[in-house]
Amino acid sequence: MERHFEKEIARVMETLLAMADEAEKAVKASLQAFLAKDAAAAQSVLDNEHAINTFEITIDNDVVKFFALQQPVAVDLRLVLAIQMVNNELERIGDHAVNIAESAIQCSPFDPLEDLPDLFRMGEMVTTMLGNSLESFFTKNSELARAQLLKDDEVDEMNRSMILKSIDIVKKNPALIEPAIEYIRVSKNLERIADLSTNIAEEEIFHDQARMVKHHTDTTVPPFSH
Amino acid sequence: MNDNSPETKIKVSVKQLNFFYNDTLALKDISLDFPDRSVTALIGPSGCGKSTLLRVLNRMYDLYPGQRAEGRVEVDGENIISPGVTVSALRAKIGMVFQRPTPFPMSIYDNIAFPVRLYRRLPRQQMDELVEEVLSKAALWNEVKDKLNRSGLSLSGGQQQRLCIARTIAIKPEIVLLDEPASALDPISMGQIDELIEELRHEYCVIMVTHNLQQASRVSDYTAFLYLGELIEFDTTNAIFTSPKIKRTEDYITGRFG
Amino acid sequence: MKLDPGILRKRRLMNRFMIGLFHLAMIVSIGVLAAILIKLVADGVHSLAPSVFTMSTPAPGSKGGLFNAIVGSVLVVFFAILFAVPIGVLAGTYLAEYGRDSRFGHVVRFCNDILLSAPSIITGLFIYGLVVLPVGHFSGWAGALALCFIALPVIIRTTEDMLRLVPDTLREATIALGCPYWKMIVSIGWRAARPGIVTGIILALARISGETAPLLFTSLNNQFTSFSMNAPLSTLPIVIFQFAMSPYRDWQQLAWVGSLLITVTVLALSIFARLFSRRKT
Repeated sequence: MERHFEKEIARVMETLLAMADEAEKAVKASLQAFLAKDAAAAQSVLDNEHAINTFEITIDNDVVKFFALQQPVAVDLRLVLAIQMVNNELERIGDHAVNIAESAIQCSPFDPLEDLPDLFRMGEMVTTMLGNSLESFFTKNSELARAQLLKDDEVDEMNRSMILKSIDIVKKNPALIEPAIEYIRVSKNLERIADLSTNIAEEEIFHDQARMVKHHTDTTVPPFSH
Repeated sequence: MNDNSPETKIKVSVKQLNFFYNDTLALKDISLDFPDRSVTALIGPSGCGKSTLLRVLNRMYDLYPGQRAEGRVEVDGENIISPGVTVSALRAKIGMVFQRPTPFPMSIYDNIAFPVRLYRRLPRQQMDELVEEVLSKAALWNEVKDKLNRSGLSLSGGQQQRLCIARTIAIKPEIVLLDEPASALDPISMGQIDELIEELRHEYCVIMVTHNLQQASRVSDYTAFLYLGELIEFDTTNAIFTSPKIKRTEDYITGRFG
Repeated sequence: MKLDPGILRKRRLMNRFMIGLFHLAMIVSIGVLAAILIKLVADGVHSLAPSVFTMSTPAPGSKGGLFNAIVGSVLVVFFAILFAVPIGVLAGTYLAEYGRDSRFGHVVRFCNDILLSAPSIITGLFIYGLVVLPVGHFSGWAGALALCFIALPVIIRTTEDMLRLVPDTLREATIALGCPYWKMIVSIGWRAARPGIVTGIILALARISGETAPLLFTSLNNQFTSFSMNAPLSTLPIVIFQFAMSPYRDWQQLAWVGSLLITVTVLALSIFARLFSRRKT
C-alpha cells in the first residue's frame, strides 16, 4: 500500500533533486569560470542564485507541512529531518558557489598564479565529493556516504597548503596580493563546500541507519536507549 | 517523555507468559518488565493481544471460563497468576480504567466511596477528605464540588472518565492499568486525560493500552509493540518513535501496515 | 449525479402513502383503547357511589357494593407479587449473571418462556389440582399462588433482560476494584437495572390484577367480606364475570363499575411504570 506520505515525499524529493542539480551545476560553473577567467560565465552563476533560493523556500514550506499535518515518526521522521538539513546545506553550497563566482570576476584581470594545478585538483575532489554525497543521499547508499566522511580531512589539508602557498607567493612578490587573496577565498569556499558535502553524507547515515556521525562520533539515535 | 535512569525499579515482571482463549493461543511467550513510576504504552494492531496482556495483570480473565494463563507474572516478586493468590487483594493493588467511562449508577460522592468501603470503614469526615483528595488529583474537584450528590451519569464523557480514574486511585493502588482510556473522548477531554496520566507517573506504575500512537508517544516513557500475540519490540518510547530496531515496529508506527 | 425528478416524485408519493398508513394504524389502536374507556366511563361512572367501596356484593335487588371483591383482589394480588418478586428477581439474576451460557441456564430460560406464554386457565387448573383438591376447599392462598405463577415468568424475563442491558464493562470495572462478584450484582448490577426491573414488576402486577381464569378454580368467590386467605375470596374479575352474566340490572351495573375500577387501576400502574422507567437513577 502506497501511503499518502510516500507520494508527498516523492514530490519533495523531486524538488530537492532539482535543487541539488542546480547547486552542483553552480559549483562546477563558478569553478570553471574562475579557472578560465571567464567573467561572463561567473556572472551567470550570480544571476542563477535566486533559483536555488526559491527551491529552498519551497522545500522549507513542504517540511513545515509534513510536521504539521503528518507528524512523522521513526524512519519517516528521520527522512523529513534529513531533507530539511540537506535543503539548508544545498542553499549554503549555492552561496559558496556565488562567492567563488565573485572571486572569478575579481580575479579575471590578473594572470593565473603558478599553483593553479593544486586548486584545479582541489576543485575536482570537492565536486566529486559533493556528487557522491548527493548520490548517497538520493540512492540511500550509506556505504558511499561513509566513504565521503574520510575525504573531508584530505580537503582540509589541501586548503591549508593552498593558503601557505599563497602566502609564500605574496612574500616573494607583494604585487600579487590581490589575486592571491582571491585564491585563498576560493580555496576556503571549496573547503566549506566539502564540509557541507560531508554533512549531506551524514544526513544519509542518520536517515538510513539512525546513527549520528557528526564531529567524528558515531552514536545511536536516540543516544540512550535503556 | 523522559529518559529514565537505568536503575529504575521493576514493578511488574512478565516471564514466558502464554495465554489461551480456550484452545487459541493469544499471547505467545511474552517476557517483559514494567518499570515502576513510569508509563509504559502497549501498542499494536487490533487483536495483537495488548488488551489481553492488560487483563492478565489484574486477573480479569478469571471472570471467563475457558481463559487461562501459563508462565509467571511477578508483581513485587510474587507470582500473581498462581491459584493461591487472593484476587480481590491483588485487584486492590492494581487499578484499571476502561475504554468507555464506567461510572456507577450512584452519586459522584458514592462513586468514590463505594470502592473505598469495600476495604475500609471510614468516619464520614475522613471519607469526605478522601473524596476531595482523589477528585482533586483527578482534576475534577472544581467541576463537581457543588454537585457531589448528583448522579455520576450526569457528567460529560471526559468528566466521567476522570471520575473513573479518581475512583481507581481512591483505593491507593500501586499499579494503574489503562485500557485505551481516551479513545472514546473528544480531543479536549483526551488532553486532560493525558495530563492526568502525566501526573500518575510520579506515583504509580502505569501501563496503558492505546491505539493512538500520538498519545503513546506523548505520555509514555516506554513502549512495547505487540503483533499477533508476540512481543516484537520493547524500548524507551523515544527510541521506538525515532529509531525502532525492528522493521515490523517501524512499519506499524509509520502506518505502512496492512 | 443529478436526481431524476421522476424518482423524486415517486419517493415523495411513497413517503406520503406510508406515513398515512402509520397514522391509520395509530388511530385504530388508540381508537380501540379510547372506545373501551369511553364505554366504561359512560356506563360505569354514574353508578360509582361511596357504597361501592363500603358495602359487600348484594343479593339481586338489594343495595350493595364491591368492598369484598376489592379487598379480595388486593389481598390475592399482594401476596402473589410478594412471592413472585424475590423468586423472580433471583431467578432472573441467576440467568443473567451465572447461567448465561450454561446448559442449566438454557433449560430454565426455555421453560420460563413456555410458562410466559402458557394460557392462564392452565395455571388455574394446575393450582386447582396441586392445592385446592388436596386441601379440599377453595382459598385465597390458592388464588395468590396461581397469580404468582403468572407473574413469575414476567418478572424473571424482565429481570434477566434488564441485567443483560447492564454493560459488561461496568461489571468488569466493579470487579477490577476488587469487589466480590455477588456484591457487584447487589450494589451495581441491580442498581443499574433497577428502573427496568421495577417496571417489569409493575407490569406483572397490572397483568395479574385483571386475570379471571386462574381465579375461577382457586379462590372462587365469596359474597361476604373476608380477610382470611384460607377461605374462598371474592375478587373483582370474578365478580365482574359473575355479575355481567347475570340477568339482574343492578348486578350488571356493579360489573360496569368493577370493570372501570380495574381498567383505571391497570392504566394507572402502566403510566406509573412508564414514568418510573423514564426516571434516571
